[in-house]
Amino acid sequence: MAAPSLLTMALLLGVPLAWTLVWSFQHVTYGGSGTWAGVGNYADALGDPVFRSAATFTVLFSVVKTASLILVAFSLALLLNRVGRLRAWFLGFLMIPYVTPAVIAATAFAWLFDSNFGGVLNHVIEAVTGHEFLWFAQAWPNRVLLLLGVVWQEMPFALLILLAALQGVDESTLEAARVDGAGWWSQLRYIVIPWLAPMFRFVALISLMDGLRMFDMLVPLSPSSVTVGNSSMMQYVFNVSLRDGSHNLGLGSAVNILTMVLIAVLLVPMLWGQFKERKSA
Amino acid sequence: MSTIEASRPAARRSRAVRTATTSARGAGKRRTTALCALVLSAVTLATVSPFLWAALSATKPTSVAFADPPRWHYSATLDVFTRLWKETDFAFYVLNTVSVALMSVVATLAIAAPAAYALSRRSGRFTTSVLAAAMVLRAVPVFAIALPFYETANRLGVYDTKLVLTLAFVGLDQPFTVWLLRNFFTAIPREIDEAAMMDGCSRWGMFLRIMLPLMRPGLTTAGIFTFLLAFQVYAIPLVLTDVNTKTAPVFLASQIGQTLPLLQQAAAGIVLLSVPIMLIALVTQRFLVAGMTSGALKG
Repeated sequence: MAAPSLLTMALLLGVPLAWTLVWSFQHVTYGGSGTWAGVGNYADALGDPVFRSAATFTVLFSVVKTASLILVAFSLALLLNRVGRLRAWFLGFLMIPYVTPAVIAATAFAWLFDSNFGGVLNHVIEAVTGHEFLWFAQAWPNRVLLLLGVVWQEMPFALLILLAALQGVDESTLEAARVDGAGWWSQLRYIVIPWLAPMFRFVALISLMDGLRMFDMLVPLSPSSVTVGNSSMMQYVFNVSLRDGSHNLGLGSAVNILTMVLIAVLLVPMLWGQFKERKSA
Repeated sequence: MSTIEASRPAARRSRAVRTATTSARGAGKRRTTALCALVLSAVTLATVSPFLWAALSATKPTSVAFADPPRWHYSATLDVFTRLWKETDFAFYVLNTVSVALMSVVATLAIAAPAAYALSRRSGRFTTSVLAAAMVLRAVPVFAIALPFYETANRLGVYDTKLVLTLAFVGLDQPFTVWLLRNFFTAIPREIDEAAMMDGCSRWGMFLRIMLPLMRPGLTTAGIFTFLLAFQVYAIPLVLTDVNTKTAPVFLASQIGQTLPLLQQAAAGIVLLSVPIMLIALVTQRFLVAGMTSGALKG
């Protein structure tokens, strides 16, 4: 009964992945047959300052974004856990940025900051700080904007996971702690957070994975990402293999493989832990 | 099926984390709840504000739609929606997206459900490695799939067709859907299988007549995710489509760099596209929550 699904995955995912792997070792463009290049593409990518800048930014951004995401989502989960019946209402609205297509959501988000589009936040921030930020043309303001936008868009997923885990915290343990005089902070620090540790790890893993593959959100939030130094590895793939007139399929494929290796380094410990859990269960 | 029901019994359990005020119960507690609700209202308003702003921009007269600083006094109009409908192919692109989404839902569920069922009833090395492979495939960057699809579609002369776009979505959806449905099937007791087999049902007969009806919540959940994915993923239709099968998000993204009248139409498009998606999300919230948490808490 599993055969059609296995066949689908093999044909529609396995075969394309195999091509990506083969092309990553070839000089190749669309419609042509490739010539072997050894590790030439990998060397080209690692030697290209544009790629190095994109890779550094992607990794650092993913780490900062993950930490911020967890902090924001956990705080909101704690709040939501205390509002009783109103919770479903809030959740419904808070989920909106996550279900809307990322490109569309990010466009609407970017408009709030863009003076070309009569952005309203732009003016508020200028009035409060007395300083005019070029949200799209300057590296750091743009980074802040990207962080806000991406956390805004990904927060609902992290929030739901953490909220669900929060609702499973053992009440009798908390009651016992309260009887022993533990305050809000110590209950959080010594019972709730340790209880949620596996879920924090899961959210972090998903968030890092999404961060390393970031593409959609950058299009509206950082229109000149390459010049300001805020571009991602996936944007590099898109630019070298479909834009810039280069159609360099080999180089793009090599960067795809590099990204997968990076993700695998993250995934293997997680999968190994799950495998061991299943064995002992 | 703890993931679905989690939202209800949880209300009772959630008191566990209402930790702050143990003394001065009644009033203190109510004050904390009110404060939390107040903060959450502010956060919620901030969360939806980009969409509200887009809706405002779309209903202003074109001359002041994106004026800097923003105008607050104007007479609202829906002209731009009419123009978007009449002057561009927006309706055509929406229809494209919806039909590709529906085709991918049908194909994905038909292929994934039997596999998920089989994997939920067997354990051992084979099952573990299939599930591990599915997990790894979920982590693949979309361009690693999109570029080979692009090249192959061009060679076969099927570039820019709904078929290729649907196939790409079916492939990408498969690992997640199998995982999700397997978690739902696992919650159905095996005794039901055994009873049906005893009554002379074949494996497939039982699957079709007994399992699928029991799986309605699971299939609905997976179907919603598959449907939404066809709208959400931008990179795949960006690479695999041109004029004939462009999806609505790709069309809107291409309008963003345009000048004023087209730009305001993009704002209208954003409103027209996000409102139905928001409604779907609100109506199906229970299923969405079940799907999003199921991968994390089980599996």
